[in-house]
Amino acid sequence: MLELLSDHTVRTVLVGTTAIGAISGALGCFAYLRKQSMIGDVVSHSSLFGIMLFFLAGYWITGEPNKSLFILLPGAIFAGILALTLTQSIVRRTAVREDSGLGVMLAIFFGTGILMLRWTQRSSSGVSGHRGLEDYLFGMAASMTSQDLMMVSILGGTAILLLGLNWKELKLFSFDPMFAQSIGMGRRRLDLLLITLMVIGIVIGLQCVGVILMIALLITPAAAARQWSQTLGGMVLLAGLMGGFCGGIGSLTSAQFGIPTGPVIVLLGVMLMIFSVCFAPKRGVLFRKQQQRRLATDQNNRFRRDASC
Amino acid sequence: MLIFWTILIAILTAVACSICGVYLVVKRETFLSEGLSHAVLPGILVAFLVFQDRTSPWLIITAGLSGLVMVWLVQLITNTKLVEKDAALGIVFSGLFSIGVILSRLNLKNVHFHADCIIDGNLEYAPLKGLSIGGYYLGPQAFVTLLTINLLLIGFVGLFYKEMKLNSFDQSTSKLLGFRPNLLHTAWLAIVSITCVAAFEIAGTILVVALIIAPPTAANLLVNRLSQMLVVSALLGAFAAIIGVAVGLQLDIAASGPIAATSGFLFLLIVLVAPKRGIISRWQQRAGQRARLLETLVLTLTESKPIHQLAIVTNIQCPPQQVQRAISRCRNRGLVQLDAEQMVSITNKGSALIELRSNARDQTVSLKGQ
Repeated sequence: MLELLSDHTVRTVLVGTTAIGAISGALGCFAYLRKQSMIGDVVSHSSLFGIMLFFLAGYWITGEPNKSLFILLPGAIFAGILALTLTQSIVRRTAVREDSGLGVMLAIFFGTGILMLRWTQRSSSGVSGHRGLEDYLFGMAASMTSQDLMMVSILGGTAILLLGLNWKELKLFSFDPMFAQSIGMGRRRLDLLLITLMVIGIVIGLQCVGVILMIALLITPAAAARQWSQTLGGMVLLAGLMGGFCGGIGSLTSAQFGIPTGPVIVLLGVMLMIFSVCFAPKRGVLFRKQQQRRLATDQNNRFRRDASC
Repeated sequence: MLIFWTILIAILTAVACSICGVYLVVKRETFLSEGLSHAVLPGILVAFLVFQDRTSPWLIITAGLSGLVMVWLVQLITNTKLVEKDAALGIVFSGLFSIGVILSRLNLKNVHFHADCIIDGNLEYAPLKGLSIGGYYLGPQAFVTLLTINLLLIGFVGLFYKEMKLNSFDQSTSKLLGFRPNLLHTAWLAIVSITCVAAFEIAGTILVVALIIAPPTAANLLVNRLSQMLVVSALLGAFAAIIGVAVGLQLDIAASGPIAATSGFLFLLIVLVAPKRGIISRWQQRAGQRARLLETLVLTLTESKPIHQLAIVTNIQCPPQQVQRAISRCRNRGLVQLDAEQMVSITNKGSALIELRSNARDQTVSLKGQ
């Protein structure tokens, strides 16, 4: 495997996927804590529509196909936020429930996205340079360029900066939104901020694992980290580390064996999560079983001692 | 002739999915349907790799099992209370889907499972593979499979109609009465997994979710009863499927994207125009209520003595135009009159109306007292 590291492309991909995994994992903690896994799933599927829209718009305006992340990622962000806003307005105005509304939004955006993708891929559409768009379905980290890395850094850096500046407010708001509101923190502003952070976390990972599996990259490190840490700061840091680990090792493994990157990274994350659920101290399943056994033995001994008196 | 079979298969798929969807939407388990549609992939691929036949009936069985494995794993993880339920679902189905994708890229013995099928389904070839039993041609295999599944669904729902209905709305009562809701639920999820696989042909495993969720959610805005919801969502689903197939043929692409998009846009349309529960209708209702409220306020203000028109406008803190219109409406109905000095006074008819309304209110109050 070490020979791989001498390749510049592989190094770029490695750095990129590690960074993506770390940032998505860290930002995903808030989605996990606020129980917004479904929302994240819908946002990531909806991104396909935005990607196709901005790609086609760029092609028709400039006459040249441009798959640069500087064009496609804003499209993804736009579509994600549009899907959420539309769902909110429908749910607020009619009897449609939130989970059904989200599911339908997924159908609309992802369905239209697939429609546009397949149409573009037809030679009769006259659009060229679309090869590589399909990679947004299952991920293809191997095609990451330094330019992509730059875009990821800019977006990710902005997100981390926003997170850091608003840390105390976001921490309070995530756990006790009512109290936060009662002491004067703007609920809408913080909600919007958290949604933006989640959308950024999702969008930077799309190239790596694809729209379908993105939710796993967002949530799994958070779920795993939660088992080891009792504080939000600890959880976010740990999730970042775990996400980075999965991203990096996953992309190396996929490059070595020629399997698609997305699934490998996700499976690594899932294994990490299962390990954490079983073996984490204080919360882990094995630990609890040990605890129960110890309590039972204690009770047994006490009973015997008392009975003999 | 081929088009006929294609459309028929499309309709059968939509009907099957919408029946599944009605109960899932009512129980707020739409994320579960998303999960099932992803989780059946490894089951499909295991059967495919073993039997090397994409149309083998074993696919249905392994896919059903795959779905149940997902449900079992999620239950296992949720029971530890260490991971949140939706997150557990997302993680498990993503993990299973990843296994499926990796399996699909394996090239064993020159048999290749086209990853595109996962998204697109395979409607173009569905009418071509026929099924004959004892030399008797029954029709395309997909048609026979879907027809069987539809009959299974209708049979199951018909046989257990009351139990499913109770289970969907009040699970605790169901348990108390001994109807074994958990068993019923598990059986239902197995059937939904099987339907996902069958719908695979037409919509691809992931866009099946569109046909499962969108028609029932739209139907929910149109009707009140579960039975009506079943019928209406089947109709809506069939409609979306037909249009989707037509668009797919027109643009020369797979039907799955257009079908999902159509079902979604159909939902948006219904959200707007549904009678009573649609956005436009509710806006009209609210406008009507506001108008009636203003009229009542005008009458109340003029009840005891005449009052200047402008005083009414300032008293009622609403946009002046709306208040003026309310006054005009009252005048037109003969409830108030306007004299030369812009003074508005109530008429006998108006007093009678106020009397009537307050009597009704008193009656309601006294009834409540009893």
